[in-house]
Amino acid sequence: MNNFSYVRVASVEDAVQRAATDQAAMFIAGGTNLVDRMKVFLDQPSQLIDISRLELSRIEPTREGGLQIGALVTNTALADHPTVRRDYPILTRAILAGASQQIRNMATVGGNLMQRTRCPYYYDTVFACNKRQPGTDCAAVAGINRMHALFGASNHCIAVHPSDMCVALAALDAVVAVEGPQGKRQLPFVEFHRLPGETPQHDTNLEPGELITTVTLPPASFAKSGVYLKLRDRASYSFALVSVAAALALSDGQIREARLAMGGVAHKPWRSTGAEQFLIGKSAEEATFRQAAEVALQGAQPLSHNGYKVELTKRAVRRALTVSAKGGGIV
Amino acid sequence: MSPVIGTSVSRKDGRAKVTGAATYAAEHAIADLVHGYLVTASIANGRIKAIDTRAAEKAAGVIAVFTHKNALPVFTPSNDFVSSKIYEARLPLSDDRIHYGGQIIGLVVADTFEQARCAAHLVKVDYVAQTPLVEAKNAIFREAPTMFGESFTFEQGNFATGDLATATANAAATIEATYTTVTELHAPMEPHAVIAHWHGTDSLTVYEPSQWVMGSQRTYAELFGIPLERLRVITPYLGGGFGCKVFPWPHSILCVAAARQLQRPLKLVLSRRQMTANSGHRSETEQVIRLAATTDGALRAIAHEVKSCTSPVDEFTEPCTSITPIMYAAPNLRLKQDLAVMNVGTPTFMRAPGENPGLWALESAMDELAWSLQLDPVELRLKNQTREHQRRGLPFSAKHFADCLKVGADRFGWRDRPLQPRSLTRDGKQVGWGMAAATFPGYRGSGSVKVRLLPDNTVHVLTAGNDMGTGAYTMVAMAAAETLGTPVETVQVEMGDSQLPDGGIAGGSQMTASLAPAVIAACQKVLKVANVETAQAAFAALRQSNRSAFEATASSAPGDEAEQWAFQSWGAHFCEVTVDEAIGRLRVTRWVSVMNIGRVINAKTAASQVRGGVIMGIGQALMEDCQFDPTIGCPVVYDLATYHFPAHADIPRIEVAFVGEPDLNFNPAGVRGVGEIGITGVSAAIANAVYHATGKRHRNLPLTPDKLVLG
Repeated sequence: MNNFSYVRVASVEDAVQRAATDQAAMFIAGGTNLVDRMKVFLDQPSQLIDISRLELSRIEPTREGGLQIGALVTNTALADHPTVRRDYPILTRAILAGASQQIRNMATVGGNLMQRTRCPYYYDTVFACNKRQPGTDCAAVAGINRMHALFGASNHCIAVHPSDMCVALAALDAVVAVEGPQGKRQLPFVEFHRLPGETPQHDTNLEPGELITTVTLPPASFAKSGVYLKLRDRASYSFALVSVAAALALSDGQIREARLAMGGVAHKPWRSTGAEQFLIGKSAEEATFRQAAEVALQGAQPLSHNGYKVELTKRAVRRALTVSAKGGGIV
Repeated sequence: MSPVIGTSVSRKDGRAKVTGAATYAAEHAIADLVHGYLVTASIANGRIKAIDTRAAEKAAGVIAVFTHKNALPVFTPSNDFVSSKIYEARLPLSDDRIHYGGQIIGLVVADTFEQARCAAHLVKVDYVAQTPLVEAKNAIFREAPTMFGESFTFEQGNFATGDLATATANAAATIEATYTTVTELHAPMEPHAVIAHWHGTDSLTVYEPSQWVMGSQRTYAELFGIPLERLRVITPYLGGGFGCKVFPWPHSILCVAAARQLQRPLKLVLSRRQMTANSGHRSETEQVIRLAATTDGALRAIAHEVKSCTSPVDEFTEPCTSITPIMYAAPNLRLKQDLAVMNVGTPTFMRAPGENPGLWALESAMDELAWSLQLDPVELRLKNQTREHQRRGLPFSAKHFADCLKVGADRFGWRDRPLQPRSLTRDGKQVGWGMAAATFPGYRGSGSVKVRLLPDNTVHVLTAGNDMGTGAYTMVAMAAAETLGTPVETVQVEMGDSQLPDGGIAGGSQMTASLAPAVIAACQKVLKVANVETAQAAFAALRQSNRSAFEATASSAPGDEAEQWAFQSWGAHFCEVTVDEAIGRLRVTRWVSVMNIGRVINAKTAASQVRGGVIMGIGQALMEDCQFDPTIGCPVVYDLATYHFPAHADIPRIEVAFVGEPDLNFNPAGVRGVGEIGITGVSAAIANAVYHATGKRHRNLPLTPDKLVLG
């Protein structure tokens, strides 16, 4: 039996202190992904540090006009928050596109960032997986990789990040605040997750013992045009084949500002600043969106089973931009 | 008394189920229970070179570890369906061979589930691995063996002389197309689980989800060499079976054997991952259909050639050609089925085996023929109806296929259908309408029922036949209430215990056809025993006489009617889909099903059965797909997150109606059963609607976004 200890902490300092002194300890909040992984021996922590009672459940406006979101805010509370619904609908839509109501009620913002890939080759121990057991192999490379990455993969890992919410946060230029043994620091959202490279066992750029405390959204007037388009094998409760978070700010039909991030295509939410730069200054029309989609998919490296994702993602980008140009809405 | 049969009655077991009071197999509280966990193979072909169980044996709480090195003694059963039947002819742990990925290679028994599971992961196995065969394109297909004594090969008319040219001569239109389906899982909500409780070495109680407790009782008796009367199988509730819970699988045999060896009650619950390999599936199929017809749509020839796959350790042919001679009249028929052995788990019966994938192909081809002749597909089907089973040469009894088509078309508004593909749009999406036929044979077995009237005005009906979750408890109560003239609420039903009278099998959609006549007969008999006309008079007599009960047992069985008639249920599905072509998003938006199933006992649960079938068919059409790693050979789906079936958001309102009269040639209750017909034809109706919406014919299931975008 893999026995582990459980402790509920009362302060961030205590949580960080415990994690710093026990490399095999893990934080637990909603537990919607971690408990599943523990059941199949993917994670065997020595200690579960329960952070769920920490004072990190507030959503507050920032002086700059943005929004600071505590790491323990549930996915449901965040999606339903009136300010989020009004000013960041892209975020509400992305959250509601993921999981189920029951899971969103338990899952937290910090936990959503920390969830791990659902690659079946990672989950099932009959297959070699460098993420599960570094230095073995990636069986998915020669396997059924229909769900896998187009961008930024390596021979060591071709898995994709599963989150919908994170795709929206990448598009929104969110900032992640963390606290660790070395103190506090902030990471731009696109630098929070990492590409697999030769060390796919690491999903994020967190240092050992670091705990996410808040995620801050800068003010974003354009975000009202936000669109989250998720394409999947069933209408609800399944991970994205591909997804797109898009937002445009227009003046007189010209694109003033653009945001574009894609999910289901990389080991991290895949922000396409190239396509964003391309869009700025162009007129908001079909031809522009078509070209932007080509730019967004430049460098895509399809695998044996996921070639369809190149075309599907282009179409999703075009559709998301088209809807965004019309002021956003449900797709 | 107003009539009960034919009304809508909520299921009697509904409250127990939603409150958790219903006891499923793994939930029976047995004192001193110990827990098992399976060790499964991580290769798909080869053998075990060495297996090291030392660490597992030393782990906390572990009582025993069983592998092929210390395999438990089990008798080889006759396995002939009559005396006994097991799903997989190879007995568990019988040698060091690995035939498919995930095959059971060991069992760990411990004090707790967690201890057993942990120790199972400590078993170290060295394999001699061989290249697994899991891709049908690389498999060797041979003529399929006979099934229930019937060959899959059949030729009639000019096909019999090999003269295809004559068979299709004067044909104005011919269709030749290949249709495929993928490996599908039963995925019942209740996982496979078994508790084996020995009382000494020659008396056994088994709690497991069994669609056929009497069959399981006979089979365990043979496997373990004990008399029937000392063996009891208990299945009061079953959380879905779909054909994968009829006979013992290897894990059940292993659990019962280990429990006897250890002389401890032993519980074994399979994980979803273990179920993928070890509890059956529907084989992938490749079907070639050739149709030839005259200008006005009269079929001249139907050829149906099928390939399906089985495991190295048992033969199961997905019997797709069963529907070909019964759907449409054609003077020239040719049926052929081939089977290949691959390194996959053993396939088995899955909701409408044969009929379901068979109709996917045939009803798609009929749609293609209708378009090529510019005929209404409803008219094409009406024109080609057959009065007789063309293979058996028997007339169909109480057949109302035409009514299904006509009533369905009316309810759906089919006549308003825009004729050309791509002619209907809504909110920027293509809209299409499609239809397909449904069919399933009328099966019936023998059934026995005991009825007991008590002085407190209650009726008790007892039978070993069981309720798979489909509504059998309620059906039995309704048949009894109607016959006795008592309110249905006063009827209490006990089912799923092999100590009760043999109620037959909950498979082949036959439980109602087998049991309802027996219930009626037993109720009539108990009134005779009481020498009264009504239950009320019997209750009064009981109170006056101080008797504790009136009791009667009656049986009902098929006679020789199957020599005069072919019994078959019929149906038609009509549906609307929307396709957002740019992003490959397909939604089913409207559904009408009209079924001809003989007498409907419970309108509510019968309609629910059809809806459940339609939902399962939508899953087959849109998403269900069990894939195997091409190199390693193990399934790449391992749970219900990786094996998709529909969520509520995928399912529209499903309107269900019934037509036709009781089929009294079939049985005195006139019922033909409704469990499986609902799923047949569904995937074809959807693909036909997608063609109408987009002008694009899809012949390979499932219709996932990648296929819709890239075609």
